[in-house]
Order: sequence, then structure tokens, then C-alpha cells
Amino acid sequence: MSKLEIKDLHVTVTDEEDKQQQEILHGVNLVMNTGEIHAIMGPNGTGKSTLSQTIMGNPSYHVTSGDILLNGKSILGLPVDERARAGLFLAMQYPAAIQGVTNAEFLRAAMNARRPKDDQLSVMDFIKELEKNLNLLDMSDEMTERYLNEGFSGGEKKRNEILQLLMIKPTFAILDEIDSGLDIDALKVVARGVNSMRGDNFGSLIITHYQRLLNYIVPDVVHVMMGGKVVATGGPDLAKRLEKEGYAGLRDELGLKIELTDEN
Amino acid sequence: MTFNLKQTQQQIKNAASQVGEPADFIARRLKAVELYSRLPMPTMQEFSYDGWSLLPSDDQFKLATLEPSAAAINAAQQNDKTDVSLHSFASDQQIIDEQVPAGVRCESLHQAMVEHPEVVAKYFMSVISANQDRLTAYHQAALNSGCVIEVGAGITVEQPLEIHQVQDATNPHQPLVNHLLVVAHPHSVVHVVQHLSSVGTVANLANLMVEVVAEPGSEVHFAVLDETDANITTYLNRRAHLAEDANVEWAVGMMNAGNVLGDIDAELIGEGSKADSKLIAVTGGHQHVGLNNRVTNRGPHSTGLINQRGVVLDSSELIFNGIGQIVHGAHGSNAEQQNRLLMMSPAARGDANPILLIDENDVNAGHAASVGQVDAQQLYYLLSRGVPEHQAKRMVIRGFLSAVLTALPNRQLEEQMITLLERKLLNE
Repeated sequence: MSKLEIKDLHVTVTDEEDKQQQEILHGVNLVMNTGEIHAIMGPNGTGKSTLSQTIMGNPSYHVTSGDILLNGKSILGLPVDERARAGLFLAMQYPAAIQGVTNAEFLRAAMNARRPKDDQLSVMDFIKELEKNLNLLDMSDEMTERYLNEGFSGGEKKRNEILQLLMIKPTFAILDEIDSGLDIDALKVVARGVNSMRGDNFGSLIITHYQRLLNYIVPDVVHVMMGGKVVATGGPDLAKRLEKEGYAGLRDELGLKIELTDEN
Repeated sequence: MTFNLKQTQQQIKNAASQVGEPADFIARRLKAVELYSRLPMPTMQEFSYDGWSLLPSDDQFKLATLEPSAAAINAAQQNDKTDVSLHSFASDQQIIDEQVPAGVRCESLHQAMVEHPEVVAKYFMSVISANQDRLTAYHQAALNSGCVIEVGAGITVEQPLEIHQVQDATNPHQPLVNHLLVVAHPHSVVHVVQHLSSVGTVANLANLMVEVVAEPGSEVHFAVLDETDANITTYLNRRAHLAEDANVEWAVGMMNAGNVLGDIDAELIGEGSKADSKLIAVTGGHQHVGLNNRVTNRGPHSTGLINQRGVVLDSSELIFNGIGQIVHGAHGSNAEQQNRLLMMSPAARGDANPILLIDENDVNAGHAASVGQVDAQQLYYLLSRGVPEHQAKRMVIRGFLSAVLTALPNRQLEEQMITLLERKLLNE
């Protein structure tokens, strides 16, 4: 069993306009184990993406205090690629496109990066694994010979993130708004992919605005983030309640003085 | 020692006669020696090549007719997997593999001047003039290898014709003065690949020209893979003349390690002609590379596109001048250019200069230039999948260069270019 712990995490970003450091996360605490699916819900501008980018090690985000531990060891000193090889994965909201590098080549590079030099993945094994996962995600072979995310539609990009997840098989996958811009059919396909990963050796942190995705990927634990903190934690029922009552209701009930970005 | 005109002419006359060159070609050489003695060196905007050995010393100006070394022949033959492979030296000009497609004639320049003197008389140095400057004069005077490709009217050649030129630099005073002439007759289509490499580590110069004569409605795709070593100092001049509705595409990969002064040029003379000039360059070490990429719209409704991408490593220097000129009368023309550089080291120096010279109102013209770093978003994305940083950087660089890589005529060539690219980036 593996464990990912976020301890009293404070994170700042540099404001693009006035170049001042601005604190986004004000002490986030969260513990998750493999075998569990966690969901983080919360209104816009509350720090959900900041949390996911900070876990992955995006250099634009600065940890000012607190820690992120993987199996008891801090990963704050690790560069992004080492975090990935240690078992972390982030399905991004806006994946970058790279012309000239095919999807297949990129996937192989990512998979081989995790293997010793003298035990690189054979072409046959790679293709077998690829075929299996393409089928699961209703993706065509042609997608793998296209350049990485280049000219992909929004839905294709999301599927491609899940394809990478299935091929790389990380220990912990953070899915940052994997449901945004997906129609109901695509949403089901994405959920099918994530659910196929479920098991004792896999944990996932699903970030979403909406409860809808959680109908298809049923979480074990639901966290609510507001104002840069986790303010409530519960079971799947918590998500359903939010869908009914909205974030403002929960905020008022908890007696929090937080202004919601989209609130008038 | 000062330049001795008479003595130089005498040496060239003797050497050229010895290999059996026709009298009128020798006369052109001798005229060029005279031009050389009085013409100035060219100048390039934003770039200095002071102290380079782009020309031999005065006492070494001669027609070099050394036998190629066994190493050079071996290197040329190892690359002999393509349709047409030719290695030519003044005294030993031969086509190794003669599987030339129907409707195409591919001869060494020497062979062409003996067997088809009318073709040489009409087209050789018709696009680039020997009296342009000292370097072009030297070219005509001391030319010691080359080849002529002539594609018959209406002929389409699907398979690229690949010419591998190996510079033998195992001894001093072995300049490679090489000329490639492509004549595409009306409505023909041809792909040509010029592959340049070198053997030996002795400092030598290369003076390379390509002339493309694109007759009405023809289509010429010209790709270059240059991987010559650091000891080779290169002057290159590649120019195309486009008649009406002709189409020329340059896809040039400068992966060499030595200093380069270069001019790539497309003259859009005919109405509706179109040139697409793509170039990538990777410089490293203490290398200095200055390239002019020029497209001149002369004919109405002509289109000139320039796309240059460079990666500057170590303490090297890379200068891109993109020159888009639209002359008066070229109404309804298009000129677009992009010049982009990726700076990989704080000691590297690079400049991307778009130069637009427009003397016509009814045109579309645009340019974009940038000098920057590796795209942080792309790099982060690759890293987040566990791809190690050095490999991720190489992938991002490849993406940056892909506009040209993907223009190469086939996947095999694209892979060759990527291999060269990876080799250059290895120390990064």
C-alpha cells in the first residue's frame, strides 16, 4: 500500500500583473492511500488546480510551508520528472501539444523512462498494451501516429490523457477537471478508463466542479475546498448534497467567511 | 605573397585541359580568375565573417584535382542505398549507381560539359552570376565537382534523387568547390536530396552552389542534409529561378559543425510562381553561422514563404536574415516569413532579422520573429510523464523544428535528419 499525504500546505504564485507573491493555498491537509478514489470539489478560484500542480511540481507554484509526502518521504525537493517516476501522474486540464513528436513515441519514452536501460519495452509488448487500451477508450489506431495533442479536439485531448494514464500505470493519478468540455458519451468512456485502473495498487484524486462525473467514478472520499483549504470531508453523499445546495449553502452552514468568485 | 593572375590562370588552364574539359568551359574559368582578382567579398547584414578561410591563400588558388582518399570513397559508398548516388572529384567523376528514373538525366558536371555542352552553356551559372562577388568568381574558376540533373517536360519523379557529396579533408588544400544544377522542364515534378558530409580533420573550405531552373508549371522539392565537420568552413549559395506557375520548396537542414556563410534565394519571376523556403539550423561549440534566406517576388500573384528555425547551443552564433522583397509590378503577391531561434545557453548568440522590402501596394506581407527559450509548458508536460529532462528537451526542440522536418520528402529522410539532430544535441 502506498500513501500520499499533504500536510498544512501553503502555496504562493507570482501574480502576472504586479509580480507580487500571492498565497493561494492556506494550509491544505489531505491523506490518501492506494485502493482509494478521492474527489475534490469546490467553486472556481479556490485552489484546486493549484493543489494538483503543486503536487506534480510545476515550477510556477511555490511551497512556502508544509509538506507533500509519498510513502512518508517528502517529495518537495524532487524535480517534476522524478516525481512522475516515483508514481505520480497529473491528467492536465490544458495538455500541451508538440508537433513532430508522435503520440506513440511519446508514450514509449514515458514508459521506458520507468524501466531499467537493459529492460526496455519491446515493440510487440508496447503495441499489445496500446491496442488493448485504445479499444477500452474507443480510440482509433490513427490517434497514436498523430503528433502529440496537435490539432486534437478538447474531447480527444482528454481521452489521450486517460490513454497515458492506462499506459503509464502510475500509483497516484490526479485528474484535473477531466470532465470539462466532455459530452455524456465521452464522459462515460473516460470513466470506464479510470475505473479499469481501480485496485489495491492505484489511488486517484479527482478534481471536479460537478457531481456528474462522480456518478460514473464513484469516490470513496469527497473533500470540499474553499478559500484555499479543505473545509469538509465526507462520503459520496457530500457531493450529492453540494449538487443540491451549492457551495454557498455549505459555506454558511460551516460559518466560513469566504467570498466565492462567481457569487454576486 | 600577392595574387598572381597569369600564374593562377595557367595552373587552372593546365589542370582543366588535363582532365579533358572543353575549351569554352576553360575560357569561362579563366575569365572568372580575372573577376576574382578585382571583385570584392560579399557583405552580410548583421553578420561578420572576418578572419574566416572562405578562400584559399593567394599561392594556393588552384584547380584541385587530387585523387580522393580511400576513406572518402568508402564513406560515399556506405551511403549508397538510394536511387542516384554520386560522388565526384575533378579527376575521378563517376556515378556509382545509375538507376536513374526514365525521363531524368543525371550526369556529373564534367560529363555534362563534354556530352551535353549546350545544356551547360545555357543553364550553368545562369541563376547565380560569377561576377556577383569574389566568392562566386572563385566558384566558377576553381570548380572541382558537381552534377547536373535534367528532368524532361511533363515527367514526374516520385522517388527522391539523392546525391551524397563527401568532402575529402584528409589533406590540406582540398577545397570542395561543388555545383549542383537542377533543370526542371515545363510541368515536371522532381524531389532532390543533397547530402553533404566530410571525412578527415584537416581544415578545408567548401564553396557550394545549387542552381534550380524551374520552368513553367514545374515543381522542385529540394532538401539538404548537411553534416560536415567542424574543420570545414563553408560558403553556400543556393538559388532558384521560377517561371510562371512554377513551385520550388527548399527544406534545408544545417546540422554541420563548421562556420557557414550562406545565401538561399528564390527569384519568383513568373506570374503565379510560388516558393516555400524552410530551413533549420543547429549550431554548437564555437560555431558561427550566418544565413540569408531571401525570396523576391517579381511576377504578379507570386507567393514567397520563409520559415527558419534555429537552435543555438554552447557559445555558438546563429544569425537568420529573412529577406522578403516585392518589386514594383508584382501585384497581388504574398510574402510571409517566420524566423525563430531557441537559445539553449547563456553564452550563445543569436539574431532573427526579418527584412521586408516592398515596392508594390497591392500585396500581402507579414513577418514574425522570435528569440527565446525552450517552451516551458511543453517541457513541463513531458516531464510530468516521467520523461527525463535531457530527453524531454530534445523532444521540445524537435517540435520546434518540426515545420521543416515534416517537409522532408519521406520518413526515412526525416529520421536521418532527426538522428543528426540528436547527435548535435547530445552534449546538451
